Amino acid sequence: MRNKGRMLGALAAAVAVAGFAVSAAAGAHQTDPGITKTSIKIGGTFPLTGVASAYKTIPLAEKAYFDYVNAHGGVNGRKIDFSILDDAYNPAQTVPLVQQLVEQDKVFAILGSLGTAPGLATWGYVNSHKVPQVFLASGDSYWGFCAHQACAGGTKPYTIGWQPDYPAESRMYGKYIAKNTPNAKIGIIYQNDAFGKNYINGLKQGLGSKASSAICDQEGFAATDTTVTQQILTLKGKGCDTLFIVATPSQAITSLVTATKVGWSPTTYLSNVSANRIFMLLAAKNGANIDGVISSSYLLSPTVNASSSGVKFGAAILAQYQSALSASYASGDSNVIYGLGVAWTFVRALQNAGKNPTRATLEKALHSMNYANNPFVYTGIKIQTSSKDNFPIEQEIMIKWAGGASGDWQTTGSLQASGH
Amino acid sequence: MRLSRADLFGVVAGAALIAVLPFLISDYHQALFAQVAVFFIAILGLNILVGYSGQISIGHGAFMAIGGYTTAILSRDHHTNLVLTMVFAFAICFVFGLVVGLPALRLSGVYLALATFALAVSVPQIALKFDKFLGGSNGVQSAKTVSHTWLYGASWTTAAILFVLAWLILRGRLGRAFRAVRDSEVAATSSGIALPIYKTLAFGISAAFAGVAGSLFVMATNGFAQPNEFEVILSLQILVGAAVAGLGSLWGILAGAAFVGLLPTISKDVPVVGSAHGQDVVFGLLVVLVMLLMPQGFAGVLAALKRLRTRPDTS
Repeated sequence: MRNKGRMLGALAAAVAVAGFAVSAAAGAHQTDPGITKTSIKIGGTFPLTGVASAYKTIPLAEKAYFDYVNAHGGVNGRKIDFSILDDAYNPAQTVPLVQQLVEQDKVFAILGSLGTAPGLATWGYVNSHKVPQVFLASGDSYWGFCAHQACAGGTKPYTIGWQPDYPAESRMYGKYIAKNTPNAKIGIIYQNDAFGKNYINGLKQGLGSKASSAICDQEGFAATDTTVTQQILTLKGKGCDTLFIVATPSQAITSLVTATKVGWSPTTYLSNVSANRIFMLLAAKNGANIDGVISSSYLLSPTVNASSSGVKFGAAILAQYQSALSASYASGDSNVIYGLGVAWTFVRALQNAGKNPTRATLEKALHSMNYANNPFVYTGIKIQTSSKDNFPIEQEIMIKWAGGASGDWQTTGSLQASGH
Repeated sequence: MRLSRADLFGVVAGAALIAVLPFLISDYHQALFAQVAVFFIAILGLNILVGYSGQISIGHGAFMAIGGYTTAILSRDHHTNLVLTMVFAFAICFVFGLVVGLPALRLSGVYLALATFALAVSVPQIALKFDKFLGGSNGVQSAKTVSHTWLYGASWTTAAILFVLAWLILRGRLGRAFRAVRDSEVAATSSGIALPIYKTLAFGISAAFAGVAGSLFVMATNGFAQPNEFEVILSLQILVGAAVAGLGSLWGILAGAAFVGLLPTISKDVPVVGSAHGQDVVFGLLVVLVMLLMPQGFAGVLAALKRLRTRPDTS
């Protein structure tokens, strides 16, 4: 009888120890907020309303991709729960929303938040809370450089961008002009802020020794300006034969239309944030002569590359999970394929973060990316990062418009690397 | 704003509630209520201008911008103590308020409203023009950021101090002069009140309050000042808050501040209209309702209730 008692006691003790061990092991995998056995919670801030609301299709495309992934088993059995919050491009709204995501919703990571100023308003907070701030939708080079060097009070190792940065893009244009049309007289029309100045600096770097002689004039406009006639007339009057438009869509379209209306036909370069086919068609509809306009791309074109498997894949996903985007995607809307590309990259990184991801393993995966097969980026582009390289995409291809008011972008030349 | 014994009891009770609240709510909600204090201070300032001197401004966001940038720049470049930056913001915005108030003497009604509206639109753009010093579109980041609890404590303490200051100003000679100007400029002048001095002073004081609100506003935005934070909508929010508050009641100003500070966040979660536009629609609808049902604002409702209570008993 006593032996049985002792045996029972020993068995009970063994079960208890085993139970503690199991729960401790399970607990160790759930130490990070936002992740359970069946779900991963992420969120991002986007301008769903306000002046920048043209970009609201980006988070919708990202969500469509996550819905597709969730319908096919999720990531290692976990469904992605993506919160899309509206900050109307106002940093004073972004901050409380990000605080809500981190402190109330307890997300695992912040994904895709759009805008340089909203990013700068929140990156200090996010980094001090050690929350991954992944694939910011902005081409500012801060997101690449500041992982390892101190910016605005410290390094920001938890922040990373995705797209090629603006200075790299305009360096490419500068090099192209220096090589192909070294005697060009470049007139620059630019948004009078950091975005515009970033581009001008890159152009000068690309032009190298020719910078001072090649730049004929530069005319700025305020982000809220609705007309740029004065600036275009000045550039034309100074005898510039090449026009570099550094503007977001509305002023880009206005610049193209105005140049044609004043009887000026310079060789035109356009920053790729405004090179969406949808905007080009709008410019042409309003009278702009857009043949020969040069820009750049790092994404597949849903129209020119319609027969590629990546574009078809995207079309299928949208048809099933976000059919509201299908029509503009079919007309070449690059914002949509951008969103799909970002979402694909995040899912890949999450898969590489292991069977039981933590914020630390996700960060490790994000800083050791080597993906050559993102179906939505331009063929041949490798998404690469390392402990020294925090710029995921550094390759772009030049594109030139052909076919007038119903035409499209055609690629020209080969993929160029920006080299940081 | 004359305070009876009952009012004093109300003030003490309100202060006690505000002091105890942070122990009952989460960090995140403390930050939210700190925003209410920011609007409280701004609305207090606007109240002095509109309610007590009869002038209008839909440009107080501009003074908030000046105060906010003062804090960010002093902190970034001189590592000034954040509380001290509020004192600088008060002083600098007082001067700017006087500067704006002088030409405003020539304007009134709609024209003054338009002039201040122009101020609201143009002042934030200055940061884009002088971007080396004022940060441009990349904004200005203060050297120090604060915790939610610190922000709650600092903003409500400041609100209390400025409320007392406003009360002292308005119960004295200055307040009587302001009210005289508001009620009839002709009568005021004939009583010996120099209109230019008092009207300009009202602008200065009102702007100084808005400047301090702007300081706290930037501190609440992780110490980051940027032109997009001070768009016209901010000036309109302060105006709406003042309209909801009504005139002459501390509780009214609290209600107005809570309305503009909390309602956008709460109405975001309304399922009916959808998350992207829900907050705008709900907020807009409620503003219309409030203006229709309570044209004198919250203060008007309180005053009406008081009149009901002190109605002579007929039995």
